[in-house]
Amino acid sequence: MRFIHIADVHLGAQPDAGAAYTEDRPGELWDTLEKVLKICERDQTDLLLIAGDLFHRQPLLRELKEVDYLFSELTHTQVVLIAGNHDYIKKDSYYRSFTWSDNVHPLFGNRLGHVEFPEFETAVYGLSYHSREIGEALYDNCTAEGLQRYEILLAHGGDGKHIPFDRKALSESGFDYIALGHIHKPEVLEKDRIIYSGALEPIDRNDTGAHGFVKGEIRTDGVRTEWIPCAEREYVHLRIPVDEKDTFGSVRRKISKLKSEYNNKNIFKIILTGTRGADVVFDTGRMDDVGNILEIVDETRRKYDLERLSRENRDNLIGRFIGEFRDCEEGSVEELALSEGLEVLLEYKGRQI
Amino acid sequence: MRIRELYLKNFGKFSEKHFYMKDGVQVVYGENEFGKSTLHAFIRAMLFGMERGRGRAAGKDAFSRFEPWENPGYYAGVMRFECGGRNFRLERSFDRISKHVSLVCEDDGEELSVEHGDLEMLLGGITPAEFDSTVSVGQLMARPGEELAESLKNYAANYYETGGGEVDLSGALDELRERRKEVERGLKEEERIQDEKRKTLAQERAYLERDLNKLREEYEEKRSAARRAAREKEKRARQKTPDQRKKGERTPERTREASKHSRGYERNRNISGKGTATGIRIPAGVICLILGMLGILAGLVMNKKSFAVSAAAGVIPVLLLIAGVLLLVSGIQRIRRAKTEQWNDGEEEREDGGEDSILRELERQEERLRWEMSRIHAEWKEKQVRAENLREQEEEITRSDTEKNLLKRRQALLMAEEKIRSAAEDLGQQTSQLLNRRASEIFSELTAGKYRGIEADERLEITAWDGERRIRAERLSRGTVEQIYFSVRMAAAELLQEEPMPLIFDDTFAFYDDKRLESALKWLSRQDRQVIIFTCQRREGEMLHEDRTAKKGIDDHQ
Repeated sequence: MRFIHIADVHLGAQPDAGAAYTEDRPGELWDTLEKVLKICERDQTDLLLIAGDLFHRQPLLRELKEVDYLFSELTHTQVVLIAGNHDYIKKDSYYRSFTWSDNVHPLFGNRLGHVEFPEFETAVYGLSYHSREIGEALYDNCTAEGLQRYEILLAHGGDGKHIPFDRKALSESGFDYIALGHIHKPEVLEKDRIIYSGALEPIDRNDTGAHGFVKGEIRTDGVRTEWIPCAEREYVHLRIPVDEKDTFGSVRRKISKLKSEYNNKNIFKIILTGTRGADVVFDTGRMDDVGNILEIVDETRRKYDLERLSRENRDNLIGRFIGEFRDCEEGSVEELALSEGLEVLLEYKGRQI
Repeated sequence: MRIRELYLKNFGKFSEKHFYMKDGVQVVYGENEFGKSTLHAFIRAMLFGMERGRGRAAGKDAFSRFEPWENPGYYAGVMRFECGGRNFRLERSFDRISKHVSLVCEDDGEELSVEHGDLEMLLGGITPAEFDSTVSVGQLMARPGEELAESLKNYAANYYETGGGEVDLSGALDELRERRKEVERGLKEEERIQDEKRKTLAQERAYLERDLNKLREEYEEKRSAARRAAREKEKRARQKTPDQRKKGERTPERTREASKHSRGYERNRNISGKGTATGIRIPAGVICLILGMLGILAGLVMNKKSFAVSAAAGVIPVLLLIAGVLLLVSGIQRIRRAKTEQWNDGEEEREDGGEDSILRELERQEERLRWEMSRIHAEWKEKQVRAENLREQEEEITRSDTEKNLLKRRQALLMAEEKIRSAAEDLGQQTSQLLNRRASEIFSELTAGKYRGIEADERLEITAWDGERRIRAERLSRGTVEQIYFSVRMAAAELLQEEPMPLIFDDTFAFYDDKRLESALKWLSRQDRQVIIFTCQRREGEMLHEDRTAKKGIDDHQ
């Protein structure tokens, strides 16, 4: 039995994608889903498993019609889906009333239900969100019932407010494969068995790295899976070192070069690090040549050799000031205050009065 | 540290010029334009290097000011000095092309590295600013528009507040405040963007709400129309059956049947009657007309034969003609009447079978209305879901990363300000007492005991204490203020510096009267430091020569 496992497609979302791509981004989410469906058709995949959050919000009727039409075009593949926390089944959700094509099998109950495919000797289990949050560990007591030779669990969540689960319980649940959704970063909890496919396309600016889906096959001798990247774009965080010799222009060029090395179709967050000349001004607003930069964070001049500085300034204000910030955590406000203060103090050390 | 030799290879107006320095107090006398300031600047440049500034300020900086008059590409000098019992030779060239620095220990030939901080270490970590604010003394220069006392206050404030003259505390705090303001401007902008987003969404939602209301109204309209139709239908349906029943009750079936029959019969009769009457009258009229006309013609032909016959023959055709006309007219009238009757008959008939068709029509209408209602409801629901989604989206507009970063930075800047203040306060309290005590001692000596001390209050107003009164700095003479300044500098130099650097005075004593100058020189000569006095007056040199306790000064550059 061959399957494809996707999750968190978030149709209808409008991800922030920089000046150049934001407008087309909602359409790209549909395009990538279609790409997966084409693969299903080409490979005559048996099951397409959608582990929640197919839609970013409550689906509109026309959106359901649209997606159902796409599913209906599959000549062989059977589609099983559950609703996640984003497209949870609200009181008047279209999910409740929509009539799906014959090859689409929603598991929309709020308690574990299943659908059987005797032709593939497979049963798929799953439940859907009927509210935005579920704090109950609903999956911890789920076990494979042995209805078919191969049993699959479709599950969504895994954090405190979204059906937290115990990995061990899942592992001992008896399912041959557990297709997880909700966490956007692809992650294997148990090899070839319990897997977050990750979002099909990155949705949030912090969904860095590659995105795609899981392709797998269950046979009598076990499950084999493979993760396949297919997202159109990636969010990339780039740290760009800067030194005293750099100017606005040279930094701009550095950014531009590095971005094209990483491929300009991606969406970037740039973090400038290192030190810069005191009188150089980085106009970060003008550094985006392509329109694919979401944010430029200027962290230059933020790293000091504190030990050396406090040794050299033992008896003066700078030493005292450093002393006020003993053991501050990285990334904390204290650390930032220390570096801001130091920057200014060092600048004003040596000013004639 | 003691400077042994200044060798100005090419610096300012000097070229290939050696100046040898001795220990103790020495006076370098020179008239205006002699180059005292050049020498002073040379010492500073040798100790700390000198770079060409950037931007507009470059035209006025030291680099440009002392750029050699001749051969500016060669801009260099050597300073030899003794430090910690060892002798060093420091060589620098300043021009951009051959810029370099070397430091060699003359005792063992060891090469030291200025870049790696060896010189800094020899100098006890003194910074250029510290140098400027302690051992290198000019006249107290009031900034334009600033009172002298204010200038002193700022100067002293730095020591009292921070315990060290290295950092311009108020400058640093101003800078932090400036940064915070910039961050706050950024925050405002970010908030504006967010508001804009929220507004756009809210507007879209408002449009949707309007549509939804319209749809609701439309739906209500259709619904009441459908209800009306349903009621009407029901009424009619009810009316029809009970009407029939009522009629049946009131008039026996028979009479109704009979009346129906009689009506039918009459109609039949009418129609048949009409048929015969019109059928006969019109042709009869036509025949009468023809016969009459023929009779008249015949009468005219036979006129001459017999009058009686002709008279009779003349009357009959005329009668016939009249009869024919009458017959025709009545026939046509009949036909007309028959037609209207027939029309009325049809009306009656339609009214009769119409009750059913009206019901059918009402049913169709109701059905159409119901269908439209469901269409409107579907449209309404789709829009309702969209509106709901938009509301969600609106709620999800939380602080952007940029805004979060700015908020964090603002918090950090506030914290930095606060911590700098508290650190300064700590440090200030500690050192200001020492500084106060030492500066007071020096000041007391300079003024030969007229003043017992100086003090800075919590607002950093400097006052001089004469044993009875506290006199605020702005009420003291310029010379006295300068002496306070001198005292604070000397105390700071003593307290803050590890390595005793040479004290350099550049026309510092111009406002001192003879007595206080003498005291100052006496105090200086007691210090275990090299003292270099640049002056354009002969007073210093003369006093030192008179003063037996002073080491012999040099003024060999006259």
